[in-house]
Amino acid sequence: MSDVAPLEIQALAKIIDELDYYQLLHLETNAEVSAIKKAFHATSRTFHPDANRHLGDELREECARISKRVTEAYCVLRDPRRRKAYDAKLGGNEGLRMQLAEAKAAHARQDTEERQGRTPQGRQFYQKAAQDIARQDWTSAQQNLKMAMTFEPESAFFKEKLEEVRKQK
Amino acid sequence: MAEIAVGIDLGTSNSCVALMRNDKIDVLPNTYGEHTTASVVAFAEDGSITVGNAAKANIIHEPENTVSSSKRLIGRYFFSEEVKKAQAICAYEIIEGANHGVRINIRDEEFSLPEISAMVVREMKQIAEAKIGEPITKAVITVPAYFNDNQRQATKDAGKIAGMEVLRILNEPTAAALAYGFGRGLNQRVAVYDLGGGTFDISVLEIGRDVFEVLATCGDTFLGGDDFDDRILDLLADEFVAKHGVNPRNDPYAFEKLKFAAEQAKKGLSLEEEVEIRIPDVMTVEGGECLSLQRTMNRSEFASLVQDLIQRTFKVCDEAMQQSDLTTRDLDGVILVGGPTRLPVIRKAVQDYFQQEPKADVDPDEVVAMGAAIHAASLVNAEAPDSVLLDVTPLDLRIGVAGGLAEPVIERNTPVPIEQSRRFTTFQDFQESVKIRVYQGDSRTDSENEMLGQFEFSGFAKARRGEVNIDVTFEIDADGIVNVTAADPATGQAASTSISLSGGLSDEDMEKILEQDPTARVAAAATPDGSDSRTAASAPAPVAADEEIVLLEETHDGIDLDLEIDDDANDGDLELISDDLSALAAESNDSAGSSVIDPNAVSISDLDGEPDELVPLGNAAVEVNVNEGNAREDLFDSSNKDLSADDDETELE
Repeated sequence: MSDVAPLEIQALAKIIDELDYYQLLHLETNAEVSAIKKAFHATSRTFHPDANRHLGDELREECARISKRVTEAYCVLRDPRRRKAYDAKLGGNEGLRMQLAEAKAAHARQDTEERQGRTPQGRQFYQKAAQDIARQDWTSAQQNLKMAMTFEPESAFFKEKLEEVRKQK
Repeated sequence: MAEIAVGIDLGTSNSCVALMRNDKIDVLPNTYGEHTTASVVAFAEDGSITVGNAAKANIIHEPENTVSSSKRLIGRYFFSEEVKKAQAICAYEIIEGANHGVRINIRDEEFSLPEISAMVVREMKQIAEAKIGEPITKAVITVPAYFNDNQRQATKDAGKIAGMEVLRILNEPTAAALAYGFGRGLNQRVAVYDLGGGTFDISVLEIGRDVFEVLATCGDTFLGGDDFDDRILDLLADEFVAKHGVNPRNDPYAFEKLKFAAEQAKKGLSLEEEVEIRIPDVMTVEGGECLSLQRTMNRSEFASLVQDLIQRTFKVCDEAMQQSDLTTRDLDGVILVGGPTRLPVIRKAVQDYFQQEPKADVDPDEVVAMGAAIHAASLVNAEAPDSVLLDVTPLDLRIGVAGGLAEPVIERNTPVPIEQSRRFTTFQDFQESVKIRVYQGDSRTDSENEMLGQFEFSGFAKARRGEVNIDVTFEIDADGIVNVTAADPATGQAASTSISLSGGLSDEDMEKILEQDPTARVAAAATPDGSDSRTAASAPAPVAADEEIVLLEETHDGIDLDLEIDDDANDGDLELISDDLSALAAESNDSAGSSVIDPNAVSISDLDGEPDELVPLGNAAVEVNVNEGNAREDLFDSSNKDLSADDDETELE
């Protein structure tokens, strides 16, 4: 059985809506996946309703509430793509929670942006490059990809494509 | 004194009961000294009921009065494939009960599946009581990890009918992993390959000392040791037909004899390289000739008969490995569960697949009951050694939306307990109510999933379609119970339901059954005639257009999905349009976020049979206002006819 003090359960249940997932699991924002798992196990040992069956209904109800949020935090943080979407949401001050379906939609959008470009110009030059690649005009493709990258220098996808084209040449 | 609670492995073919006391786990043997008891129930002419191996021996004499493999039917709808399959091969009579339930008719008495299973649970309870010498009223009962909620609820009902408080419905592979790792301070990743009599499960777990985290679970509830027997049985029957020109399948006694011989042959091949199958008196034909059967079978012939079944299990294993983000090389151990895993052909295949030898120190017939006993002890006894089970939900939980679709709210292999919400909106202008339909399964088409239940939500602000927000929250608690809440964030109006299922028994059914002495022979069948509100409310039924809801993916992530008429599409096809089309395109093959609605599935263009009663999109406001309360029912009726679901409907009225 967990030896958590009832006061601790009540205190956490009270402030749970004000904690982000990192705070909830006592993690640094750059925590590794292994640390996230460890934290999930440790928190579950302490707050899982089964580990607190000796407590009264009210406290166990609060344990259940904490446990559900802990699971949610773990589900988001253990998956790199969901975590990326969540970090973006935290950075934009758009809330402390993220539903899994919401994370999925967000990272699907990120993927598309990465693949097609984030900026109108980036997209435009990438499309030209894609046409060049289709007709195997490697020189033009290289130029267009370089142009696309001047608008989105951080794009790993454009960089990768450029490498491919260079090899073809 | 510490409370006592047992663990019961309620298997398709055999059941097992265990108890943990003073940190020691014992499998409790029956009066014959056997650690497992056949999950077979025999009904004698004098009204008495026998459970166990004696009942199993009765199958050959009275196949129509002996119920075996009832776990294959529990919690299923009558129209399901599995029930049809069982009807074809079972000698006992399987009939349709109220609300698409399954009943078994024996000696002119009807029994629900939970009642049949309760007889097995009661037998296990009595075995434990005889051994312990005191009454036992609490248990953890295990089910295949891939069981859906209907099957779990029905199993829970079985425990209740048998006079047990069911502390938890626990997944079999999770129980096995607990028995394997309990108290050993392991830090390991293990796979549990669980091939039972009627079901196959694979779970991948991470054990961190006293925490047992399920990373993924996959399964097939249509695949088990019984199917291996059937392959031998089919071969024997086909050969018999070829030789004698009569089909033993048409004679229930002959059929059961072949079935028994097939099972014995399979078991024999676990120990011997070759077995002899001999049935001196398969059947007597006209003229009094007694036909016999004799042949040998060796391991390689058996292997070729079942190879495809074994390969099917590895397809499921592939899925589980992928879902857990691991390769077989990451695994520290493989645990085999279930009688069929004793077969050398399976052991070898498993070893090849996982590239390691399975753990030898685990008894595949007893390990599940032992794990259940460990968990039972921890749930009643604060002094019991620590262990925390973190399981997952095996199947997507979905909500039915307009167009005959089902949107996932909690995806499979999500850890529990958890709570997840999604935002939806109305399908029509000034819609007064929505029907929240809850499904479990992996299909985007609602009807291809298992219906768990439905309820109506009304009282939200009336507005044009798409302007009302309805937040639907699904919650799975540590007990695996699903709660669904619908709320209008603007008005705070909310409605919720704890999913209670058509597969299970209604409260009334339950009361009726429990009124009788649970240790006595179960008497009259408990089948009230349609007066049962709980099951009636959750039986599958088509949904009228103005009860439909639409997924609203908005505000939180910038995607705005609105329902609009797409001019380019033929016949006014309805489509979800997003202002972020690239996102939509990326997802069109995916199950998340966006969807294309096919109006042919439900509503508008499909309903030209009785157009007068129907409300085209634009006129909805007028029609609904004029008819007030009646409008919804009109729509409901007409759409029923149009969807030709009248078979389903007649019983609901």
